[in-house]
Amino acid sequence: MSKICLISGPPGCGKTTWILNAMRNHKGACGYFRLPGLPEEGIEVTKDNSIDLTWLIDQLPQLRHLSDPNLKLTSQPNDLLALIEMSQCHLPKELGLNGLDQRIKAQLKKLNLHPDRILHFGADSELPAHDTLKFNQLETLTFHLRDSVWDPNSLSSFWFELVNGAYGDVYRAKALMNLPDGRAYFCNWMMTQEGSQFLPLQYVAPPTGRPKRGSALVVQGKALDAVGMQTTIDDCVLSDEVLEMQQAPLRNQQPVHSQFN
Amino acid sequence: MAHAVISCLHANLAAVEAVLDDIDRQGIDTISCLGDLVGYGPQPNEVVDLIRHRQIATCQGCWDEDIIDGLNACECSYPSQLAERRGHLAHHWTADRITEENRSFLASLPMSFRKDQLLFVHGSPNSQHEYLLPDMNAFAALERVDTAGAETLFCGHTHQPYVRELTGGSIQVKVQRNNKEEFEEQEQRLPVRRIVNAGSVGEPRHGNTKATYVIHDDQSGVVTIREVEYDVAKTCQAILDVGLPEVFAWRLSHGFEYAERAEDASHVCER
Repeated sequence: MSKICLISGPPGCGKTTWILNAMRNHKGACGYFRLPGLPEEGIEVTKDNSIDLTWLIDQLPQLRHLSDPNLKLTSQPNDLLALIEMSQCHLPKELGLNGLDQRIKAQLKKLNLHPDRILHFGADSELPAHDTLKFNQLETLTFHLRDSVWDPNSLSSFWFELVNGAYGDVYRAKALMNLPDGRAYFCNWMMTQEGSQFLPLQYVAPPTGRPKRGSALVVQGKALDAVGMQTTIDDCVLSDEVLEMQQAPLRNQQPVHSQFN
Repeated sequence: MAHAVISCLHANLAAVEAVLDDIDRQGIDTISCLGDLVGYGPQPNEVVDLIRHRQIATCQGCWDEDIIDGLNACECSYPSQLAERRGHLAHHWTADRITEENRSFLASLPMSFRKDQLLFVHGSPNSQHEYLLPDMNAFAALERVDTAGAETLFCGHTHQPYVRELTGGSIQVKVQRNNKEEFEEQEQRLPVRRIVNAGSVGEPRHGNTKATYVIHDDQSGVVTIREVEYDVAKTCQAILDVGLPEVFAWRLSHGFEYAERAEDASHVCER
């Protein structure tokens, strides 16, 4: 029988990492969906979900996306593990299925998703308890970077400035960034953790222009300088001419690549 | 007699004033400056005016050269596209504001100057753009000092102060005389040479925000690296007031250079 579980928790608590590990340990098929969550007082909702989805699909190429209208859970294999991720800063008054907000229930019903369980970071012992911050106020900035390719050293400088406070009090930053040689990195930083994660995607795009995959930066914190970040991003990403100059010598060196799923 | 050596002022007036006050308090009246009076910072004219007013012997730095001749360094001078864009922004901002009088002064500066066996340069005797890093190959370092005919070479450019003694150097040559097949080996032992890097007054990069310079006693040969606190917030506010990027102020207030050094620091731009 399929298992459908809703995983919720505040930004940066490790929801996606936990989901990835759970799916890796699951022998059968896996499905994923990210609910945008509900507005909470003082907390801006993260609108973009392409980072987590792209990252998970890269790591688990057979992953089924639960919002796919062609996907009927009733016709899925019995061993399907379906995990729904949702950002939620404050613990609900009542834990478990009974505490689920009616608006969330309505969203799930539209998708024909009926969770068997709900796990909340900071409340359920099954989930890691560390690195769970309580947020009362949180701004969220999303930069859509599809088609952007970064100069690698510029990305390094920008990320250093970003997580060290050059553009406001950043609590959390995550991104998917494309490099000119076809590699892409999942970049992840949380103020409670030491250092940033830079995890390479398995799929390396051919060096033939701009890769067609999700790319975005999400920054959460207080007093965020959106203009300053955008100015720096503009100075970091490569023009068509520079990208071609860097990719041309690579085309004769690289092996044939598989298609990105 | 003790004399002071300052370098890499980078249009940071508060830092320059604090360092000159520190030098004055010690009764030192001979000061040498290794260039980069301008670039990145908010007060290029004020800093050049002060150096001219104090009649401080100065050689030309890479930023001073670029303000006179236009951007002349190749992209290899910057470690990243971001650093290059910011460098160009700072260059154009400075070039638009420097007075003709101060531009002429920068153009009049020599590439190097000497005092007996002491040689004063910005980067190296070869180029204002070459970095003499503290861990540079010892033979290459010795070559820079010895071929310039100096016992002690004072330089800046890296923004990291250090003193490096080059001892035990020797040159071995094989000489083949006319009509003889055998080679005659000759060895010449080189005297001790020294590289003294003065660090940076206006854009420190040694782990904190204090301005650095060095004092050299030409009788005893002792070199002292001085760190001087200055009103960093004042310069940061001036950066914002003149409309330079806020991130310049942030980097200065944290003791980071505006642009990191190029990856291949030994590269010398040949343009």
